[in-house]
Amino acid sequence: MPELNRLPATRIVSTALDGAVWPENRLVLRTAADELLIIPPVADVSSVTSHDPYAIVVEDASYAGVWLGADEAAAILRRHCEWRVTAQRPQFAQGAIAGIATKLWLEADRVLFVVPAPYAVEFEERIV
Amino acid sequence: MNEFQEKLVHFTWPEPKKSYDVVIVGGGGHGLAAAYYLATRHGITNVAVLERNYIGGGNSGRNTTIIRANYGIPEAVRFYQHSLELYQTLEAETGRWIMHQEKGILWMAHSEIGMQQQKARAAINRAFGAKTEFLTPEEILKVCPEIDLTGGGVWPVVGGSYNTEAATARHDRVNWALAEGAMMRGVHVHQKTAVTGLLMEGNRVTGVQTDKGPISAGIVMSAVGGHVTSLAAMAGLRLPIRTHPLQAFVTNHYARTFHPIVASTNLLFYVSQTARGEMLMGAEIDPQPSYNYRSDHHFLQSCAFRATTLLPFLRDLRVLRQWTGVCDMSPDYSPIMGKTSVDGFYITTGWGTWGFKAIPASGEQMAQLIATGETPEMIAPFALSRFAEDRLMADRGSAGTH
Amino acid sequence: MRVIVDQKPIPFAPGDSLLVAMLRAGEHPTEGGCLCLGGDCPNCLATVDGISYVRTCQVAAKPGMVVERHPADGYPLLPDDSRHRAEVHAHNHHCDVVVIGQGESGRAALAEAEAAGKQAIGLDVANGQEAIGIYSGPLVVARTAAGMLHIHAAEVVVATGAAEIQPVVPGSELAGLFTSRAAEQLTAAGLDLGRVVAVGTPPAGIECELASGDLLRFEGEGGRVTAVITQSADGSENRYPCQTAVVGLGLYPRDALTRMGHQLPVRAVGDATREADLPTCPGEGIICPCSGVSVADLERIWEQGFQEMELVKRATLAGTGTCQGGVCTPYLRSFLLAKGKTLQPAFTARPVNRQLTLGEIAAGAHHHPTARTALDGEHRRLGAKMERSGGWWRPWNYGDVWAEYWAVREAVSIMDVSTLGKMIVSGPDVLELLERLYPTKVSTIKNGRSRYVLLLDERGYVFDDGMICKDSDTQYTLTFTSGGSSHAEMWVRDWAESWGLDVRILLQTQRLGAINVTGPLANELLARAGLDNPPPYLGHIEATVAGVPCRIFRLSFTGELSYELHHPVEQSVTLWRGLLELGQELGIRPHGLETLLKLRLEKGHIIVGQDTDMDSTPRRLHHEWAIKLDKEFFIGRQAVLRTNKIPLDKQLVGLEMVGQPAGYAPLEGGVIWHQGNYAGIVTSATYSPALGKTVLLGWLYLQNGELPTEVEIEGKTARRVEVPFYDKEASRARA
Ligand SMILES: Cc1cc2nc3c(=O)[nH]c(=O)nc-3n(C[C@H](O)[C@H](O)[C@H](O)COP(=O)(O)OP(=O)(O)OC[C@H]3O[C@@H](n4cnc5c(N)ncnc54)[C@H](O)[C@@H]3O)c2cc1C
Ligand code: FES
Repeated sequence: MPELNRLPATRIVSTALDGAVWPENRLVLRTAADELLIIPPVADVSSVTSHDPYAIVVEDASYAGVWLGADEAAAILRRHCEWRVTAQRPQFAQGAIAGIATKLWLEADRVLFVVPAPYAVEFEERIV
Repeated sequence: MNEFQEKLVHFTWPEPKKSYDVVIVGGGGHGLAAAYYLATRHGITNVAVLERNYIGGGNSGRNTTIIRANYGIPEAVRFYQHSLELYQTLEAETGRWIMHQEKGILWMAHSEIGMQQQKARAAINRAFGAKTEFLTPEEILKVCPEIDLTGGGVWPVVGGSYNTEAATARHDRVNWALAEGAMMRGVHVHQKTAVTGLLMEGNRVTGVQTDKGPISAGIVMSAVGGHVTSLAAMAGLRLPIRTHPLQAFVTNHYARTFHPIVASTNLLFYVSQTARGEMLMGAEIDPQPSYNYRSDHHFLQSCAFRATTLLPFLRDLRVLRQWTGVCDMSPDYSPIMGKTSVDGFYITTGWGTWGFKAIPASGEQMAQLIATGETPEMIAPFALSRFAEDRLMADRGSAGTH
Repeated sequence: MRVIVDQKPIPFAPGDSLLVAMLRAGEHPTEGGCLCLGGDCPNCLATVDGISYVRTCQVAAKPGMVVERHPADGYPLLPDDSRHRAEVHAHNHHCDVVVIGQGESGRAALAEAEAAGKQAIGLDVANGQEAIGIYSGPLVVARTAAGMLHIHAAEVVVATGAAEIQPVVPGSELAGLFTSRAAEQLTAAGLDLGRVVAVGTPPAGIECELASGDLLRFEGEGGRVTAVITQSADGSENRYPCQTAVVGLGLYPRDALTRMGHQLPVRAVGDATREADLPTCPGEGIICPCSGVSVADLERIWEQGFQEMELVKRATLAGTGTCQGGVCTPYLRSFLLAKGKTLQPAFTARPVNRQLTLGEIAAGAHHHPTARTALDGEHRRLGAKMERSGGWWRPWNYGDVWAEYWAVREAVSIMDVSTLGKMIVSGPDVLELLERLYPTKVSTIKNGRSRYVLLLDERGYVFDDGMICKDSDTQYTLTFTSGGSSHAEMWVRDWAESWGLDVRILLQTQRLGAINVTGPLANELLARAGLDNPPPYLGHIEATVAGVPCRIFRLSFTGELSYELHHPVEQSVTLWRGLLELGQELGIRPHGLETLLKLRLEKGHIIVGQDTDMDSTPRRLHHEWAIKLDKEFFIGRQAVLRTNKIPLDKQLVGLEMVGQPAGYAPLEGGVIWHQGNYAGIVTSATYSPALGKTVLLGWLYLQNGELPTEVEIEGKTARRVEVPFYDKEASRARA
């Protein structure tokens, strides 16, 4: 049974996300036009705050996630995902999976499933 | 030959006249009932019911036919209990078989707070004349042995309210019995006649425009469900009605052994078995307002899932047919009945997902209003003016979807 | 290889459907009726492995399958239970084109799509895929032995072909009748049909006698056909003795799926698009075998004044059985055409097109998930009774409500309040936004301070409450109720957007855990946890508590000295355990929702949703103090000004029971009477050990313009009193 763990991240809400640059070794999920999730957290957010002094920047562990191999992920999506995940990789996508709001980061050979931590237990139960 | 065919009702379809004392727009249950009670209680028969399609083709012929009085505010409990009682005698009164069956309805609770609410419902019901009791899980099992009290391990049943006089009746036959009863006394019903406008003189209606020509009338009553908003707009009247789709489905026919009507206040579905043995099921309204009649998969899937959680035996039943109606919802989840600010233009609307049970009482009361010009006490709280006067009939928790 | 039919084993050949196996063994699944082998009629239905209404011609025979005939009289029984049946899974497929039906035209459509470089899927019952409906999307739902297929396609091609028209004459309910195609299939499967007489278009490749003239009736013996009777043009009758009668009366498009797909990207090809042959409606016979409707019934109902297709269907019930009008529709249309001189359309096509069980349709569905706080495991370990509330699992109590109660009132207690809605709003326009949203003067809240607020909708009704906390001149923290927070979030976002204000919004409910520390010993506990300078009443500070960085808000819902500790959610467990550990000597105990409901009631604090209704104006709630009408604008202000002019009809008031024994509390939601008249509803009630009496909140209607001072509840006297009931001077919370 896949086990989800909290994902420490930096979460930023800002109007200046477009030009921002981040270290290579970070996963940067653009969850909304004005919202970013950076996993794991970054210390330096000046590329946003220098343009937007009002940016909200917080340490955030409200999501839980798990990496799964491409095949296992595909099997889960076939059973639990009603919407189309296009073939392009890498790719970010979000929508309901097994009835729970989920964010996906898809790479060629693996996929990160991210759900709000309060639903992690139920998500685990549902995708077995 | 099958015993459920209609054998008694005879319709007559006269030619339309140019003028009537009363024109009722909409040949659903509410329009037909008003005509029926005008004719039977007040001897007013120079009346036409105008229906744009065929009678009972709207929600009155698409609903899940649940009649109950377990409402949450005194005015509503009294009104629906009265309607429930009119239903109990409608068969004898009309001499027509409406397949009225007393079944009792269970509203199951799945939490401490939910249980408290059902106890309160039972209390307020009894205070205003409806027969509702609170049942423990063990008592629920006696009423409905098929229930899985563990709720599939997810939604355990902790208690419920039981409105013992709740019933069902065959929707078509109710519509027809009322239509025929009105016709027999001289009321005209015209099908395939759509009202396209109101005729006005100053602030008074003088008749209706139809796709077959104008018809004049002393009083016009709208019973067109949610379509009233466009009718009323013609008279410069704004109504706080929004229209939402509501769906239902039935299974094939099975021997009749499932007696009660069962609903869950958390899982939001309800089930009963029809006289012909189909299991009839419904769930909540579509959250998006629309006039879309398309049946949708998510509804069927999710309703089937929730229903089988509490009634596992349903899992092996075969679905026969799914359908959709569009419901006229008011902001406070209570109907709107009575006069409007336009002289001679009366409305009955906002029946939402629960107006089948109200057909006799709404018809009787609206007929009295038309006959006397005075709003009867029983429906006065439901007047349109309540929104301007800040007197909502807030009863969301009772609207259910049935 | 054998299947069991009504407890009798019968052999079957590879490739046999259940129906073919039965016919091979000389068995008939039903009393009779013309068999089509195409899934279009109701004449092969039986109960298969416990599931009734299965079309045996559509199910491949497998060893050990159990077939039971439906009762000849009445309907099959409801199953006792189906809990043993394995869950059916859904499989999602996404493609460009799905073609339903893999006959000639279906294969062509599939090939064409593939040639155009499209990703295409072809379905056919012959391959075990029964399409049951087309829904918006478009979504095609199909049943297979391995589960349900949910095919999300850009385009749907319906190539379901045509059904054969069934005979309707006296005797059409006999056994031994087949459509042409059925006869061809049976012959191909090696069945001996005996002496065959064909009516209409004869079957291909079957030796048979052709009956000339119009079909008049079938004659039979012991339920089986023995002769076909036709009528010649001159009126004379011809008799053709037979063992099997085969009818070729024309075709009717299988267009139900196409009609379901109306206004969706759905098109039909091949026979599914053909014109319907309209057979003449005979003078007698059963037109609807499912509901047992005869031509005589149609004649009668027409005379009764039922003349619209839909009314005829509803009055006779023709077309409402398992085949959904498959057999009767052509005849109904020709009957009504002959009577009324107009051709009426077939009735609305409604899913489901093919039969499937609730278990199958439910495949892929889930319940609404219920959220768990980071402390969920802690509560369960402590033996809490957990309840769903506001979309979360919350501890209701930990076994002893009154012990929890006294811990708050006399010592110290903690509660998991992580579920509170928490939001950050930041930006140059933040003050402007909040001034417009809230009925309080937001500008007078100082840095580091908080204020209780009501949230009003445009009609001036209260829909939530919470706190506004000022973090800096351009940033505020807002809180909402646990259940109301998702609605409140939309409310803030929608208004900010429609006013075009420059703000950034983060709902951080799930990022921050929150623990309420409450009780007269709260300061003592916090001191032990390392906090020596707690904030003043309605202030907030940042500090470390039990090693966890916290934002500490001082406010009080319980009526005692209280601090809400907001902290990173991943450290909730550390903080929770730390506090319980440090508080042991102080008599600490956690408390649940049940206890909180009592504590706050003693203070007269309302719970939005429980004590409010959808028409609760601030005036009705007796909360005018929270509304600053001298502000120029806030949402709901106009409505409040307007409704304030209408005479007050009811108000939420405090009540206490007179002379009732300890422990008594009337039902919440129960009725309040005044001199025999309805006077209102109890919204909250509890016995208060601290006060030694029973206290309530409730809606009370004014009687003759006055709020009654004495009322009756459950036959007992209650007196109207001012709230709060407990600690009127609020000295404890402000201590
Ligand atoms: C799926 C479903 C399940 C339901 N279940 C229940 C239940 O279990 N119990 C319950 O009590 N209620 C239930 N209801 C609600 C109930 O069906 C309705 O509230 C009730 O039928 C309303 O009756 P009506 O006469 O107002 O409207 P309708 O029956 O809709 O009649 C309105 C008529 O007006 C006609 N019309 C519209 N515009 C014009 C025009 N311009 N000119 C002429 N004619 C016009 C329409 O064609 C229609 O025939 C359910 C509804 C649905 C959709
Ligand atoms: S024989 Fe099976 S459906 Fe007709």
